[in-house]
Amino acid sequence: MIPDELAREMESHPAVGPVFKRLLLELERADDARSLERVRIDYLGRKGAINALLQDIRNLPAEERREVGRLLNLLKSRLEQELEIRLERIRERELEESLRLQKLDVTLPGRHIPYGTRHLISTIIEQIEDIFLGLGYRVVEGPEVELDYYNFEALNTPEWHPSKSLQDTFYVEVPGGNYRDVLLRTHTSPVQVRVMESTPPPLYVIAPGKAYRHDVPDATHSPIFHQVEGLVVDEDISLGDLKGTLENFARRMFGEDRRVRFRPHFFPFTEPSAEVDVSCNMCGGDGCRVCKWTGWLEILGAGMVDPNVFSYVGYDPERWSGFAFGMGVERIALLKYGVPDIRYFYDNDLRLLRQF
Amino acid sequence: MRVSLQWLSDYVDLVVDAEELADRLTNAGTSVESVERVTGGWDGCVVGRVLEVFPHPRADRLSVCRVDVGGEVKEIVCGAPNVRAGMLSPVALPGARIADGKLVGEAEIRGVRSWGMLLSEKELGISDDAEGVMVLEEGMEPGTDLHLALGLEDTVLILEITPNRPDCLSMLGIAREVAALTGQALRRPRIQVYEEGPPAEEEVRVEILDEEKCSRYVARLIDEVKVGPSPWWMRKRLRAAGIRPISNVVDVTNYVMLEMGQPLHAFDYHLLKEGHIIVRRAEPGDRLVTLDGVKRDLHPEDLLICDPGGPVALAGVMGGELSEVSSRTSKVLLESAHFEPSGIMRTSRRHDLSSEASYRFERGVDPDGCLPAADRAAGLIAELAGGKVRPGAVDVRARSVAPRRLELRVERAGRLIGITLNKEEASRILESLELKVVGISEDRLRVEVPTFRPDLEREIDLVEELARIYGYQRIPATLPRTSHNVGFLTREQRLRREIARVMAGCGLHEAITVSFVPGWWLEVLDPERRHLPPQPLRLRNPLSEEASMLRPSLLPGLLEAVRFNLNRRLVDVHLFEMGRVFLPLEGRKLPQEPLRLGAVLTGRWLPKPWDGEAQDCDFYTMKGILEVLMRTLHVEDWELESGEGPPFLHPMRRGTVMLEGKEAGYMGTLHPRVAENLDIPGAEVMEVEVAALVEAAKDLPPFKEIPRFPSVQVDLALVVDEEVPAAEVERVIRSAGGDLLREVRLFDLYRGAQIGKGEKSLAYSLVFYSLERTLREDEVREIVEGVVGALAAELGARLR
Ligand SMILES: [Zn+2]
Repeated sequence: MIPDELAREMESHPAVGPVFKRLLLELERADDARSLERVRIDYLGRKGAINALLQDIRNLPAEERREVGRLLNLLKSRLEQELEIRLERIRERELEESLRLQKLDVTLPGRHIPYGTRHLISTIIEQIEDIFLGLGYRVVEGPEVELDYYNFEALNTPEWHPSKSLQDTFYVEVPGGNYRDVLLRTHTSPVQVRVMESTPPPLYVIAPGKAYRHDVPDATHSPIFHQVEGLVVDEDISLGDLKGTLENFARRMFGEDRRVRFRPHFFPFTEPSAEVDVSCNMCGGDGCRVCKWTGWLEILGAGMVDPNVFSYVGYDPERWSGFAFGMGVERIALLKYGVPDIRYFYDNDLRLLRQF
Repeated sequence: MRVSLQWLSDYVDLVVDAEELADRLTNAGTSVESVERVTGGWDGCVVGRVLEVFPHPRADRLSVCRVDVGGEVKEIVCGAPNVRAGMLSPVALPGARIADGKLVGEAEIRGVRSWGMLLSEKELGISDDAEGVMVLEEGMEPGTDLHLALGLEDTVLILEITPNRPDCLSMLGIAREVAALTGQALRRPRIQVYEEGPPAEEEVRVEILDEEKCSRYVARLIDEVKVGPSPWWMRKRLRAAGIRPISNVVDVTNYVMLEMGQPLHAFDYHLLKEGHIIVRRAEPGDRLVTLDGVKRDLHPEDLLICDPGGPVALAGVMGGELSEVSSRTSKVLLESAHFEPSGIMRTSRRHDLSSEASYRFERGVDPDGCLPAADRAAGLIAELAGGKVRPGAVDVRARSVAPRRLELRVERAGRLIGITLNKEEASRILESLELKVVGISEDRLRVEVPTFRPDLEREIDLVEELARIYGYQRIPATLPRTSHNVGFLTREQRLRREIARVMAGCGLHEAITVSFVPGWWLEVLDPERRHLPPQPLRLRNPLSEEASMLRPSLLPGLLEAVRFNLNRRLVDVHLFEMGRVFLPLEGRKLPQEPLRLGAVLTGRWLPKPWDGEAQDCDFYTMKGILEVLMRTLHVEDWELESGEGPPFLHPMRRGTVMLEGKEAGYMGTLHPRVAENLDIPGAEVMEVEVAALVEAAKDLPPFKEIPRFPSVQVDLALVVDEEVPAAEVERVIRSAGGDLLREVRLFDLYRGAQIGKGEKSLAYSLVFYSLERTLREDEVREIVEGVVGALAAELGARLR
């Protein structure tokens, strides 16, 4: 209890003093909720010490009686407050003790919540799709088992072209038919032809998907791989538009600080054609093993759609112009995430899948 | 193609350094793969003049030479038979390193001190000639570093020539590009032939029987040649180009091919019957031993160079052994012809034989280049092999080739490129490439294309030349200006992404497996072909038997992936794949390629936590995943129908996935026999048609009101016969429960002593509420009694 003026007055009062002093002693001794409750009963209870004193003061002269009564009433309320405080303090202490017993090792691992992952190739395809969706393109698809016509002929590939040989192209045996012109598409470019055949211009599309080549698997070759093909046909499309589009893409995909280089190249179905390089992210363009000491990484092939291709699909090459581009998804994964071996993508080794 | 800059500078002044030149070529479409500094591969060697030669006092075959190595005269012991006083020869001084990496020191040879060694060409890595010491040409100062003296310090550009640019397969072609890219003039080699003796046509006759495949054949005759090694300068250039020097006559044919792009062949005239060349296709029984020593049976489509006795060369590919130029040759018939590209390509493929010549013919050689190349080579043979060129070339043309003329619309070209282009600039660029502008009218240029550019056939080809030389890097980067393109994913594409995300979110890793599988999978999974197509698609030319079938199901690939991981002790495998399968369509060329979603689970679903038990993958794990998928796609009408299913599933643990009443796939436990065959402990699998999922998926449903009045929950424990499917029980509960029954959830399944044998107990919790009011106890009780009654009547269920 607060040792203030009032306490001193109570302590020195001849009638209240002894009870007060005893009370102080007992309060000090009470160290749990039960003993505090006893103190409450002993002093504040109907038959408690304070009530007993109040009985006694009836015999005192009126003036004194008023004085003692005032002191005892004050004592009562003070004691009630005091008990409340002490009880609260004890509860606090008991809670602390019980919390201490509930201690956990927070460094133990959490409950296992199953988690899965997307395949890196799918993720990259979605990244590419999203960049081109933002540029106003739509996503289209075509069959993986294709006809020679779509895969080669309508893409202006000459009959004798080396890529048509059995060493480069998988040909498909169709049960019940002896066709020589059914194959696994060697690129996603036939989708271009199919889309142009079925849709009048203008066209802004990309075509992601699987493609196949007759390559024995090694670190950089796989008989199966993924490509994303792009095609734009509209009025007044220029090589500059192709350049701007692919620069835009390359920076989104590989980083805003990348430099992009366009080199003339040759593809049967585009003219003029280009190969596109981005500055090497491993060495920043100074030259390293990854970029074969050139500072550049080749990421895609592109060009203006050859007028011959337009004639195959019945577009007027005098009115429409367009560009097409194609990129290898595995190559982008190799370059962007440093996966060193293309075969890893098809092993489905959990230790790889879980990384992405 | 390997381009020596030393050699190149014969034809064009190189005004930029090698790196800059490489960049400019690359940026103009002739990609430079690398820049190689050439040195001899040795060091510490100098030019020496042999002053005196004495026999070695104690060895017959050795001699002791006094050699001036530049201000100093040293004694060197030498074993070469050709050493003689006065000759200039390479000397390796003590401390030098020769081509094979050996260090040369001072040595004592049979009692005579040798101060270094005189070197053969082999020891310098220049040729295989180890017979004698190399003889250097006069004019070199003794003591000069050998690299300098031999002019060996060179830079070689390794170029990737695209198939449309056969003209770049020659030094002159590259020089033309370089001239255009650096604004320099092109210098052609001076062609000089001194002719003597009777005319060539008196002794040479050429007949072209296949005019389709051979448009021109030029033959020149050179008599009195002395076959021997070529001079150093030529051997050096051939070496830089990656061609092994052979003899002066053969080297000249290679040299001129490299210089001008026209493949040439030299025959030993005396080994040809009657000097009569016949160009024809192979006839039955024709055979030829080519220069590589292989005896070849010829195909009727192969074009041959023959004499009246039979084939002497595989035209445009390789000469024959029997008419080969050798050291005994004294009279040479030089062939410079033009062959049609695709025929050469087929022959080269057919015989798996390719050569520098076939490589060039396949891509297209200048049809007008035969004569100058023949003259150039004849002149060089006369000069280097001391021959006499017989007057006149025997020049047989099947048809003549006129240069092509093209129209170029300059403004349109500029628009296609994305630059503003005027006629002057366009003309300047075209003429820098030796295209002739022969007429200018309004906006058009008339352009004459020289015959060495067979790739320039259309206006667009000229546009490419303009863009290329103008420089792609100078074209401003723009975006298409139109705005009527709107990008979006179709509903199906959107849902596919959603499906993949849900599967990954459920804890499965996305796999991509290859589309070809071994044929034996059919036998393992479905020997009677009750589920898989009886005849799947196969590859005509598979890489191996193990990759010969186009997958009719995602299951083989996924199970292969499981095996791959199990072999690496990764035993908890949870995979899904979304990919196409290939199903033949009766009477159609192209198969169906439905996109499927497949999944496989094996091992533990949850690993053992540190305070509890592990949980294995089981049937209901996969079913739970399917349920999450259906819920996320808002598929309302689906069920797993028990009973029939693919034979590769456990007959008692399988079901057909029904979407809106239609079969859409399967789900179940892999048949233990199949698991055993595959050597895996077991797996839960499923495969569903993505199109069916997409069709059954609903868009987000409209808002349903949230109840404001309290709900009532009633738990029912029922006993039914073991054979009664849970779905039936739930169906009866729902239909008898009426509109106020909002939720039915199974919370316990019991089999055991407290109920009868062949029975099971199912405990359901039923939740009722109304959106309008608080339900009365008695009305709920009444509904529940109705439910219990229906269960008893329909399924023989009783309360437990
Ligand atoms: Zn690098």
